[in-house]
Amino acid sequence: MKLNTEMQVNQISDELWEIPTSEKEGMLVPARIYATPAILQSMDVGVFEQVTNVACLPGIRRYALCMPDGHWGYGFPIGGVAALDVRSGVISPGGVGYDINCGMRLIRTDLIREDVQPHLDRLMTELFHRVPAGVGASGFIRLDRLSFEDVMVHGARWCIEWGFGWHRDLDAIEEGGCITGADPSKVSDQAVSRGINQLGTLGSGNHYLEVQVVSSDRIRDKETATAWGITGQDQIVVMVHCGSRGFGHQVASDYLKVFERAMRRYGISVKDQQLACAPFASVEGQDYFSAMNCAANTAFANRQVITHQIRKAFATVFGRPAEEMGMELVYDVAHNIAKVERYSEGELVVHRKGSTRALGPGSPDLSPRYRMTGQPVICGGSMETGSYLLVGTEGAVRDTFASTMHGSGRTMSRAQAKKAARGEQIQKQMKQRGILVKAVSMSGLAEEAGFAYKNISEVVEAVDRAGITKTVAELRPIGNIKG
Amino acid sequence: MSHAFHYLDDVAIADLAFDASGDSLQELFQSATCAVIEALADPTTVGSTWRQTIERTAEDPAELLFDWLSDLVYWKDAAGVVFNRSDLTLTRQDRGYWKLTGLLYGEPVNGSVQTLRADVKGITKHLYEVKQEDMRWHARVVVDG
Repeated sequence: MKLNTEMQVNQISDELWEIPTSEKEGMLVPARIYATPAILQSMDVGVFEQVTNVACLPGIRRYALCMPDGHWGYGFPIGGVAALDVRSGVISPGGVGYDINCGMRLIRTDLIREDVQPHLDRLMTELFHRVPAGVGASGFIRLDRLSFEDVMVHGARWCIEWGFGWHRDLDAIEEGGCITGADPSKVSDQAVSRGINQLGTLGSGNHYLEVQVVSSDRIRDKETATAWGITGQDQIVVMVHCGSRGFGHQVASDYLKVFERAMRRYGISVKDQQLACAPFASVEGQDYFSAMNCAANTAFANRQVITHQIRKAFATVFGRPAEEMGMELVYDVAHNIAKVERYSEGELVVHRKGSTRALGPGSPDLSPRYRMTGQPVICGGSMETGSYLLVGTEGAVRDTFASTMHGSGRTMSRAQAKKAARGEQIQKQMKQRGILVKAVSMSGLAEEAGFAYKNISEVVEAVDRAGITKTVAELRPIGNIKG
Repeated sequence: MSHAFHYLDDVAIADLAFDASGDSLQELFQSATCAVIEALADPTTVGSTWRQTIERTAEDPAELLFDWLSDLVYWKDAAGVVFNRSDLTLTRQDRGYWKLTGLLYGEPVNGSVQTLRADVKGITKHLYEVKQEDMRWHARVVVDG
């Protein structure tokens, strides 16, 4: 099999591959990649280089991992997972990503396609109006610094307190929408200036808001789907993909600089500048962790405010309160984050960058609502091909520090995609296929063309067969908003 | 704007990368600045009602360029603007330091009149380099978008 690397890659199973520590000087643990043979062959050279660089980080335990949607990132590959000892290991912003707590949210409804189709154009216009997207977009909420600090500390709970959602939403958000240990004094003024007006905005790039349909024949696990309110029969659901916006990016940029200096002080060397890190237990490491948690909570709040706006848009278009339409939150997951979690090795700081937590049934870290089923995992595909709802497994807890895929992963650069097609052309083609797209930027739309992404069904199949998540349902788009 | 930069097809799959160049460091800075400005919006559709002066000093021109480009990203969000152009001067100071004085022109984001492009969110150190080769300055920059 021809791979984009000269390294030795050993097959462990049909969906698991391992690069031994002998393949790169400084590797402390092997690197493991989850992929089918076809996906592995399509992976770029950056994945192999970066996952083996991650395997060199001080304090890493067991394996450096990459999920099947993996591709070249900054420092860590996208799809990368690493668990590092809280006492002897490091924390790296490169293992979290610039968009801290970029994540996915899924909202169910009692509506079916027949209810929505005649009003789809109006609905998408209303959503486009209520959820600002694109360059420099600002939200409708105006905060002073102290209020924004409340958002940093309380996350989605702040939103509920201020009427932007329902109290029961919190049970359907990872960490209840509020991670403890957020300290606004560790955040720069520049980060505050960038983020203070962005609550309730989508951003651009691969971020989107999508109206989707769940048909009965696309439900793979009916029992779990039913438990989460996914009933099929052309049911309408809404998916949101976005994160902490400029605020999180500034936190990441600020601390990459801090860590460059800290590495000299602590005598740490890394294979790539973007892996700049500091001991987790150090002042710098703890400061970053506190600031990162501020950004993570702000991202939970951002998606909560967007949810509030989605409910208002539906209520306006259909003339009924959102509660009457059953617009409950199915779940909200982070896929760019570092969290302290307990495994057989003890307390570890688990970095997931383009990877989703996937707790299995019975996990005490899940709210009672999900303890029987396991945690919902929401995976966004390209805007043309659809998305998936999966469920976490005990296999993930055992094998991957409870981690799995997050999306489909790109195969083509943004610049290449823009050369291959024009945004207007894609918008027209998608409309002919029954998908209504509203975009702030036509060039941005071209960058997100379906052909620029891996086939998400193959990626989902890989994690399903590997046993680190199980497929619950496939979701097909009918309306999409992009920045 | 006709400065020397081009976006790269095969670098930074998920984001945006460019090579910029100039006969002098100041020209290089201008070229790289144009690359970021044009990544955000078509500058011919952006007015210049908003202005901001920025001064920075650094010993290492690579660090200075990185910080300056990061300033553009910062002001884009902090002031909610996109840019039309920038005037910048780069001077050598005592003790080997470089001083950059930049004047940014732009206007508040308004999608109804401006052709908006990517919401550049950060300048990264991924594959980042500034070098002089054959009497010409070059920079490779990957931006997170």
